[in-house]
Amino acid sequence: MSATSDPSSGSTAGSAPTPASVPEAGAPEVSNAQLSGPEASGAALPASFVSILFTTFTTVFLAELGDKTQLAALLLSAQSGRPGVVFVGAALALICSSLVGVLLGRWLATVLPPQRLELFAGVLMVALGLWLGVQAAVQLLHAPTAAVLQTPVAATLLPGSSVPGLILSLG
Amino acid sequence: MQLPLLASTFLTVFVAELGDKTQLTIVTISGTSNNTLAVFLGSAGALVLASLLGALAGGSLSSLIPPAALQLAASLGFLVIGSRLLIRVRQEAS
Repeated sequence: MSATSDPSSGSTAGSAPTPASVPEAGAPEVSNAQLSGPEASGAALPASFVSILFTTFTTVFLAELGDKTQLAALLLSAQSGRPGVVFVGAALALICSSLVGVLLGRWLATVLPPQRLELFAGVLMVALGLWLGVQAAVQLLHAPTAAVLQTPVAATLLPGSSVPGLILSLG
Repeated sequence: MQLPLLASTFLTVFVAELGDKTQLTIVTISGTSNNTLAVFLGSAGALVLASLLGALAGGSLSSLIPPAALQLAASLGFLVIGSRLLIRVRQEAS
């Protein structure tokens, strides 16, 4: 963008220094800054569109597979015998719910200071990861008793199953 | 058109998804990243693909891949993102 705009602004400045060309050259930069949100003025890391897309896709996809929503869609699909209709309904609902989530996150970013939000989000993500990891490791190691060991508190009370689970989830 | 089936699927999935860990993840990523469109496209695409697999596979997916293994992979993803956020907070504080 800057490589193409620099020769045009240089040529207009060399031929005739009209003040009308200066706001035209500055207009795309202003719109980009508005699109990138309020953290762009702060010290946020410049993550690219593709990397944010990839990270979000991978995390949400992995978290959603085997989740209760997928089990509900599966059940409805098996009951009705019309997987196409079930897919359209589930996809519309999931798009709406992800829109709600994105807008809620945007609103939180305008209300809370960014650093406190990042700290809160980091703690939440690490806690979710530990909880899911302990659950999954317990299920993998002791499949019949998985229903009893739902919480990490219950898992730490039983040393035989919790210690390999914690090591697996952390490593 | 199977409008009742469409409506019941929509309502079931939408209510089941509100406040879920997936939506918490989306709120977290959206609040801490600066590209709302990328977060929305990534999460919506992942959810649509996951529901497509759920509707098409009809139970065969969970017999191919154990759900606990998928959950373990998801927990690693959460840990990576969470620790990256906490490291960033520490770097900004110092």
